[in-house]
Amino acid sequence: MSIEVSGVNKRYGDFVALEDINLTIPTGQLTALLGPSGGGKTTLLRVIAGLETPDSGSVVIEGKDATSLPVQKRNVGFVFQHYAAFKHLSVAKNVAFGLEIRKRPRAEIAAKVEELLELVHLSQFANRLPSQLSGGQRQRMALARALAIEPSVLLLDEPFGALDAKVRKELRDWLRRLHDEVHVTTVFVTHDQEEALEVADEIVVVNQGGIEQIGTPEQLYDEPANDFVMSFLGDVTTLGGALIRPHDVEVTPSPISEHSLEGTVSRVLRIGFEVRLTVLTDDGEVVTAELTRTHARALQLEEGVNVFVTPSPGAYTMPAPSPAA
Amino acid sequence: MAETRRAPRTPLTYVLRLVVIAYLGLLVAWPVVLVAWNAFHVPDVGFTTEAFAGIFGDPQMMHAIQLTCMAAVVATLINLVFGVSISLLLVRTEFPGKRVLSALIDLPLSVSPIVVGLALVLVYGGRDGWFGPTLESAGIQVIFATPGIIMATAFVSLPLVIREVIPVLEEIGTEQEQAAASLGASSWQTFWRITLPGIKWAVIYGVVLTLARSLGEFGAVKVVSGNVLGQTRTATLAVEEKYLNFDQQGAYAVAFLLASVSVICILVVFVLRARGARVR
Repeated sequence: MSIEVSGVNKRYGDFVALEDINLTIPTGQLTALLGPSGGGKTTLLRVIAGLETPDSGSVVIEGKDATSLPVQKRNVGFVFQHYAAFKHLSVAKNVAFGLEIRKRPRAEIAAKVEELLELVHLSQFANRLPSQLSGGQRQRMALARALAIEPSVLLLDEPFGALDAKVRKELRDWLRRLHDEVHVTTVFVTHDQEEALEVADEIVVVNQGGIEQIGTPEQLYDEPANDFVMSFLGDVTTLGGALIRPHDVEVTPSPISEHSLEGTVSRVLRIGFEVRLTVLTDDGEVVTAELTRTHARALQLEEGVNVFVTPSPGAYTMPAPSPAA
Repeated sequence: MAETRRAPRTPLTYVLRLVVIAYLGLLVAWPVVLVAWNAFHVPDVGFTTEAFAGIFGDPQMMHAIQLTCMAAVVATLINLVFGVSISLLLVRTEFPGKRVLSALIDLPLSVSPIVVGLALVLVYGGRDGWFGPTLESAGIQVIFATPGIIMATAFVSLPLVIREVIPVLEEIGTEQEQAAASLGASSWQTFWRITLPGIKWAVIYGVVLTLARSLGEFGAVKVVSGNVLGQTRTATLAVEEKYLNFDQQGAYAVAFLLASVSVICILVVFVLRARGARVR
């Protein structure tokens, strides 16, 4: 087991950032710490890195107790949301930094830097300054810099958070492929559930200083431990008093089972290829359903039309929490 | 750099420009130009460099200039080291009394230099100072000697490096330093390799400003130096001395030398700032 966090607590004054965190992160995997902002996921990552000292508890990295080790001695690669590029150093010098600190021979450093720049596709920018790179390129440089020291674990704090949507998606795919190539144990923090579901082998859902659930993307999506996880990992709606994903709601012109509820379409919203439908049932429940554009057109759905809504067979549902919660 | 949006030009714009130009011209530019003019121009004789020959030929005058330069350089070095350390302390750490310390640093800017001089005499005065007699018995004379001149100069120019460095330290933040630490750099390595290059320009501006200020210090130095000819008389004191002794030509010449160094310092800052802005 690569990283073991046990009994970690961290407070800032009255604010509880982490409360009794116990977490084991397996070797060689890509793990996401997913949760809303202010939930404690970044603090947890920084505690693992040694950039933050926990009030109590221990951190073991590759079998070695790292709790009292300063960040310099933990041999972790850390990538910051805003790149933390060394502005006065060229791209190559940025990547070489950790190796120069370790006083490696010059030729070895040069070879390693070249290899890493190749890996992150920045070879032709070796002599540029970070200010001459785009955000995505800077973050790849930061990643190469962190990988240069051959870290036992690679920690990324919202690595794509400062990038625009398209670049973010590209880098996400690229990170996944890179991880399949280098296999270093990687933990990354994100508040974007799509990013976590797409990239991670395992997801740890962190909320209000605690861990809500740990599991593979499939487990989390298909069998969420509670309504928080369910609603954080994707859209949810209520149907017949149960939580259900809008794409698991079947919309038909006539009832298809005893669970079908009758209602009226109150709103049709088209987003790209999908159509989001708001149906007001006769019991006064507001149900959201998602279908493809083609499907919606075939059903001739428009506002005011009478329809039946039914949970899809095999759809995961859970009892809706009481409104007070 | 982003295009700055300009307000439309109105008659008020031109009035404001005129006011500013007149203000700076009458208060700063014209008097300084006149000093230069009078340094070279003698009524009834015309242009001459005689006054400068007199200065460079006078060993006591040369001593005064050397003393001023030495005191300014040493005071600047002291303020460089302490200024950067204090800036780091104020920006990167939390401790009780931080705000008080921050306010204290501005004190030299607001207190009259002559008060600084008197205060130093009270503490380090050889005969009845608070700490002076102890130092005196150890063979160290502060007041009426070079150490006092350096201390007075350092005191009045203390905030200049700090006030340049603090905003830049705040702006660059701590992420680069944390990144360096995560890559294995000790705090000393982080300082030399990451922090110092990041605040380089601010430090240079601060040093140049400190140097310019130190060369021109008069009030505090006058109190602590004793103004002994050939020993503790600095260039600014010599200007006063010459002026009071009706050697106005000599006074203007030394004043011109002092002003030239300051103008050169300001030009250096100007050029560096322009370059710094380009680099960033």
